[in-house]
This record gives sequence, C-alpha cells and structure tokens, in this order.
Amino acid sequence: MHKLRWLVLALLTIAVLAVAGCGDDDDSGGGGGGGGASGEPIKVGASLPLTGEFSEPGKAAQQGYKVWEAMVNDSGGLIDGRPVKMVIKDDQSNQNTIVADYNALISRDKVDLLLGTFSSLLNLPASAVAERNRMLFVEPAGGAPELFDRGFKMLFFAQQATADKQGEVWANYVTQLPENERPKTAAYPTLDDPFAQPTSEGIEEIFSKAGIKTVYRETYTIDNPNYDGIASAIKARNPDVVVHGATFEDGVGMVRALRKSGFTPKMLYQTTAPSLGDQYSKAIGKQTTEGIFYAVSHSKEASTPGNEEFVAKYQEMFGGDEVPEDAADAYATAEVLQAAVKGVGTIERNRQLELADWLRENEVDTILGPLTWDELGRPEGEFLVGQWQSGVPEIVLPKEAATSDKIIPEWRPDGGG
Amino acid sequence: MTEFLQALILGLLIGGVYALLASGLTLIFGVMNVINIAHGAFLILAAFITWSLWRETGMDPLLAIVAVTPVMFAFGWLLYNATIRPIRRAPPAASVLLTFGLALFLEGIMGVIWGNTSHSVRPGYADERFQIGELFLPKAQVYGGLVAIVVLASLYLVLTRSWLGRAIRASAVNPQGAELVGVNVASVAALTFAIGVASSGAGGAIASVLYPFLPGSHYQWIARLLGIIVLGGMGSLPGAVIGALCLGVAELMTVTYVGPEWATGVPYVFVFIVLLLRPQGILGTRLRQDVATA
Repeated sequence: MHKLRWLVLALLTIAVLAVAGCGDDDDSGGGGGGGGASGEPIKVGASLPLTGEFSEPGKAAQQGYKVWEAMVNDSGGLIDGRPVKMVIKDDQSNQNTIVADYNALISRDKVDLLLGTFSSLLNLPASAVAERNRMLFVEPAGGAPELFDRGFKMLFFAQQATADKQGEVWANYVTQLPENERPKTAAYPTLDDPFAQPTSEGIEEIFSKAGIKTVYRETYTIDNPNYDGIASAIKARNPDVVVHGATFEDGVGMVRALRKSGFTPKMLYQTTAPSLGDQYSKAIGKQTTEGIFYAVSHSKEASTPGNEEFVAKYQEMFGGDEVPEDAADAYATAEVLQAAVKGVGTIERNRQLELADWLRENEVDTILGPLTWDELGRPEGEFLVGQWQSGVPEIVLPKEAATSDKIIPEWRPDGGG
Repeated sequence: MTEFLQALILGLLIGGVYALLASGLTLIFGVMNVINIAHGAFLILAAFITWSLWRETGMDPLLAIVAVTPVMFAFGWLLYNATIRPIRRAPPAASVLLTFGLALFLEGIMGVIWGNTSHSVRPGYADERFQIGELFLPKAQVYGGLVAIVVLASLYLVLTRSWLGRAIRASAVNPQGAELVGVNVASVAALTFAIGVASSGAGGAIASVLYPFLPGSHYQWIARLLGIIVLGGMGSLPGAVIGALCLGVAELMTVTYVGPEWATGVPYVFVFIVLLLRPQGILGTRLRQDVATA
C-alpha cells in the first residue's frame, strides 16, 4: 500500500508540474516578431481573468491585446520607433487579486502604460488603482454606470456606450414597430451583475414610456441554477417579450428552461450570451437561436478603419473563422491608448493626465467605429444590434452597419417563418 | 394553484437529483467523519467525463453513468489511499483543508484538460417536457429523478442488506467493535470513500444535462450539498433524501413566491434553523460523546 501511495503522489506531483508549466503565461515575451520596431520596448501592463469564472472573455481579451502588440511592432513601434511589450497577469477572476496585480504592474514591473481588464466587476477596483497612481486606464469591458459615478479623471471605456444605454437602439426599434406588431407586455429576469442589470433597466425605462407593461422583474444570483422555476413564473405571466440580463451560463440556462417549460415569448433579447458565437449556438442548439436579439460592439464584416487588417491578423495568429467580440474590444482599447500616446507624443508617467485630457477632447477611429467620451470617460456612441439568423449572428441595426437586409420579427426556436 | 403545483413538482424533481448528488457526501461523513469539500469537484469531473463521452461517441449521458461510475470508483479508491488515509487519525479540520486543496487541484486540472469555458450536454430530450394538463415536467429532470431513485435505492439496499453494508455501518458506529468481529475497518473506509465518489459519477452525469458547467462550478454545489446533509442529519442516507427534497421544494417556492435572488440563501437558512433547533438534523442521532471515539 505504501508503494502505491508513493506512486500516486509521484504521478500527482508530475501532473502539478505539468499544469504549472502550461499555466505560466505571464510575460508575453515581446510577441509580434515583425522586426519593424527597435529600441527599448515600451511595457504595457494588464491583468486579465485568464482562469476562473471570466476566463473565456479574459482569454479573448488577451488575444486582442496580442494582436495589437504584433501589429504595432510590425508597423514600426508605438512611439519613437520603440516596440511594445505586453506584460499580462492572471487575476483569476478575483477582485482582490486584480488590485494586487495592478499594483505590482505599476510598482514592480514598472510598466509605462496600462490597459484595462474584462468585466465591470474587475475594472471597478482595477481602475481605482490606476486613478490613485495617475495612470491612464482605458478598459475594454466595464460599462456599468457606477464605474463612472466616482469622478475619475483617468478612466475611459472603449466601447460605444455604457451598460444602461446598451439596449437603447433595439428598444427604440421595438417601440417604433407598427401598433399591431408592438409587444404589450414584457418580462425582465436579470442576473445580479453590474453590467446585465443596468442594461435591462435601461430597456425597461424605454419600454415603460412607450406603454409596454412590465409583468415580471426579478433578479437572481449566478450561483442559483433554478432557471426552471423562473421560466415557470414567466410562463404564468405570459409576456410578449422577454428581456434577459445575462452573462453566459445563465443565458444558456434560461433559454433551455424556457424551452423546457414550453413557453416561447414573441421576442427574446439577451445581453452578452448570444454574442459569444459558436459556443452559444452549441449550448442551446443552432435552431433555437433563430431570431434572438442582442447588443454587440463589433462585427468582423464592418468597414470601420483597420477592421479588415485586424480580422486578418487575428485569424493568422489564432486561426478559426470567428473573431470573438471581446478580442475586438480589447484591440480597440489598445487602439485608443495608442491614439492618445501618438496625439500627445509621450508615455511619461507624470504626463498621463495629458493623455486623458487628449481623449476627452478628440475623436478616435477604432475598429468599433469612431469613439468619443464625456468628462467622466463615458462613451457617447450607440451599440450595434445583433440577431441570430439561420444559425449565424448578423448585425441588423443600425441600417448602415447591417450585415443582413432583414430583421426576423420574432423568436423562432422551432424553425418556421 | 397551477403555479403552486408546478413549483412543487419542479421542486420535488430537482430535490431527487440533489439527493443523489448529496448521497456520497453524507456516506463519506457518516462512516469516516471526513467532510469532503472536494465532493462538488468530483461531480464536475464526472460531468466533464460524461461530456467527453457524449461528444466523442454520442453516448446518451444517462447511459454514460454505467461507464463513468466505475471510473469515479477507481479514482476515489486511489485518491483515498494516496491522500485521505495518511490523515485518518488527524482532527476533522485536517480533512476539510485537505479536501479543499483537492477541490482546487481538480479545478486546475479540469481547466487544463477541458478549458475554462462553459460546457453543456444536450441529448435530444434535454429541452423537451411531458405535459400533464397545464403542468409541465421537463424530461431531463424526470429521467434524472428516476435514475436518482434507482441509484439511491441500490445504495440503500447495499447498506442495509449486504455484508459490505453491515461492515460499513459497523465501522461507522463503532470502529473498534467492528475490528473485533473481523471487519477490516481500513479497507471498508477505502471502499466507502470510493463508493461515495462513484455516486458522484451518476450525479455528475445527470447534472451535466441539467446545468451548464465549468471547472469552477463546484463552489456553487458544495454549499448547497452541505446544507442538505446538515438538514437531513449528517451521515444519514434517508436523511439526505428528505433534506434534498425539502431544499428542492423550498428553493422553487422561494423562486416562485419570494423572488429568485433569495433562493441562494435557502440552504444557509436551513443550516441556521437546524443548528438552532435540532443540531443532529432531521434523521441524525446524537452520539454519546463520552464513549464515541470518532
């Protein structure tokens, strides 16, 4: 028995070492390799949720930053011909770890510039560290309104709008439908999340003003897997439209629970989950996706400046046909940082407020389209509206950015139409 | 009334599944006095193995139980001998720390093998239902509940009708006495642990159909499962079944009539009430601390 114990322990040790070896992902080692830039590298630091709950978007964001690093270095560096070196840490989706990580990036790794992390939950504490150190903090995925209620000077969100405005374009589309097609009642099941909740509340506000009656509004927590109970309660109230403030797992869970309950609302809108492409359609079934609406920041078909090059480079580096939205958002975030650095012509620590002031005064062209910000770093644009059509995510609104010429008027999980 | 009956049915169905998920945990505690914090991670591991079998071979996830259970049994036996056996004489706190470490370790390994992304097992019936009048019974839950009944009944019969079961119960009640009548308590402990882990094979397979999961999902399960076995009486299998059914119904009633955000607190409220009013749980028995050695 003793021999067996030692054998198992030895195997476990080998496994641990193997895992540690695979997981060592800290410094990216320069990347790019294009040879276009020379001189001492400019260190750009970020901490991302590479493991844990948000690891999926975290890894996509890491890819976006790496694509930017490679493209900047290929094209002669960020400033004065100096290449960029990304220093990326793993915060394990943990709010405490991320504070330690950004402190370490600033004081130990002595990075020249910072980039933000994924999700409002993590950007909330991370941006406070940056603000305290007077370093510019442009972030790719922290749209919760409360981030911008703190009067920070160095914080900028690099998407089109904050969470409360995310569903605005879609909500306006619904309220402007002809009387006989417009929904009369709505249900709002929502995850207790700083992003999902304000999005759903923003839509409810527009709907309520247009006379669409709220028949169900409840919040649930991420560790509550009782979607069947929620679906059953929604079914009992029979709303025309369900607006679901979701992340991923709960988005999938809720769609499946609605299917199980046999209730199909006329329209279904979800935050976040439907924008995760293949993973979403595999999880709920391709046919079930037909007609589901969502908001999205990026389309790989968009004709925005640099988008084609970004998509090509992404596919060259990481393969596959899809380009995750989170990778595009991260890339756009780095584009914003780059524009500020080029605009002011400095990366000095004590002049980063100038970078922030420059962003407040200028419009930046990104692959998400042109971005501008108000005094508090809130973007002032509009999101795109996506819809799943024939198993493919399409952009349907606004018209000028649409990749499909039709809008499916309802959710058709059983096909038809 | 329909809403109430619907919540009751959904609560009982999910309670049956909870009972299966908690059975291994209560068994391991009852016999070995080990609070196995890694039980949730074992469930998720079984869910991932089921996912791989379903994905690669197209095997029905409920049928996959036949394959996953022996794998989990062997895994449990190896794990016991390598990690739990050396600390058998240590205070219970040591087992809590050790199994928590195991849970973190398994989470990391699963992340490397399957990735930290959400996985779902979707057989053809996953989103279908049986309709009885205005009430719906999700097929996956019904099948899951039936499998839970079969597995729990088998486990109960083994514990009450077989020599192994008697040896397990004897080891739980009085290890020295069991040794005296020829029971090899150490081997029985290893087998019990392995059976407990094997039961998570069936539980994980069912959970994989009902809920999307990722390596970190084990945290949300362990709190709920501990609530169930505290409610039922730690170490009692019938107690775990009653505790699970109560919790399932209470959660669904809370979701329906109070609000889903309160459902998360239900297991904790249960633990609090039980500890206050009946610390030994519904079917637990008080041990005489003056003669009990565990």
